[in-house]
Amino acid sequence: MPALNGLLWLISYWLIGEVVIHFSGLPFSSGVVGMLLLCATLAVLGRVPSSLAAAAQPLIALLAMLIMPGVVGVFFILDELAGQWFAILFGLLLGTLLSVITTLWLLKRLIGHAHAR
Amino acid sequence: MLASWLSPLTVTPLFAVALTLAAYLLGNVLFRRLHNPSWLPAILIAALLLAAILAVLGLPYDTYQQGATWLTILLGPATVALGMPLYQQLPRIGELWKPLTLCLPIAATLAACYALALAWLLGASPTLLASIAAKSVTAPIAIGITEQLGGSVALLMGALLVTGVITIPLVSIAARLLKIDDERIIGFALGLNGHAIGTVRAFELSPTAGAFASLGMSLTGIFTALLLPLAWQLISIAS
Repeated sequence: MPALNGLLWLISYWLIGEVVIHFSGLPFSSGVVGMLLLCATLAVLGRVPSSLAAAAQPLIALLAMLIMPGVVGVFFILDELAGQWFAILFGLLLGTLLSVITTLWLLKRLIGHAHAR
Repeated sequence: MLASWLSPLTVTPLFAVALTLAAYLLGNVLFRRLHNPSWLPAILIAALLLAAILAVLGLPYDTYQQGATWLTILLGPATVALGMPLYQQLPRIGELWKPLTLCLPIAATLAACYALALAWLLGASPTLLASIAAKSVTAPIAIGITEQLGGSVALLMGALLVTGVITIPLVSIAARLLKIDDERIIGFALGLNGHAIGTVRAFELSPTAGAFASLGMSLTGIFTALLLPLAWQLISIAS
């Protein structure tokens, strides 16, 4: 049952994250705290236990499916957006265009052609 | 209006789970049939299919969502699981840590600020702004952020979808204009701006682009998750 073992790891780290947030009052999500703790633990261990990989890989592969129920919800709140959809769409489209150009330009300047393969 | 044969089925969450699995698998099949179009990701096909099925069955979204909670509860451990690829990429981060640590805070901040400023100028409400602030962050992390900011998760999902889908053509056009052919840069930009959808695309380009995309995606997620809720609190206290 290596995958089940790994799943218990993942859930435990998520629960630890929940406790950390409860007591620290930090405005982070427990998943993020769990992720950072897991990464730190693996760095200390120096390797990825096979049981953890057996649970983590299929879960990451299924991420798209796990967010689908939420994505579908957007089709059912379109009415509530009346009058605001233009602001959202415009902000998202132009905003993403600007940030894509900024990212590419910044990285090009910082990494430079010297290292390009 | 629920058909009479349907009402016993909706009592069990397994019906919603089955609908989700079926739409997801069918969406993937259609995606491959259409020769993997970059402007129509599999997740969008699947979501449209699922919305159509719900509409045809007359199944209210709330009923569906309650059942689907049995699947979405896994988002928690799935987010934690992202710590594994993050660890595996630590050596790559070390290699390029200087340019990446300089670029990431600026680019990730601007990714949120550009869209927020534009939407704010056009008169979007505070709830709406809170819903799209995490638009470039991978879904499991973005949901946590949005709940903290008091935004609508359904709207966030729409914003994620739009952002992810348009990032793909925008990156390829902008890279051509800026004469960039370094796969590491293109991959990082795809992951930073287009979260999981951009990362999937980067893996289609090359494994290197994919690795840098997941790096960009995880770093943007962590950076935004750590700073956006704090920044948001400061702004609301100040105003």
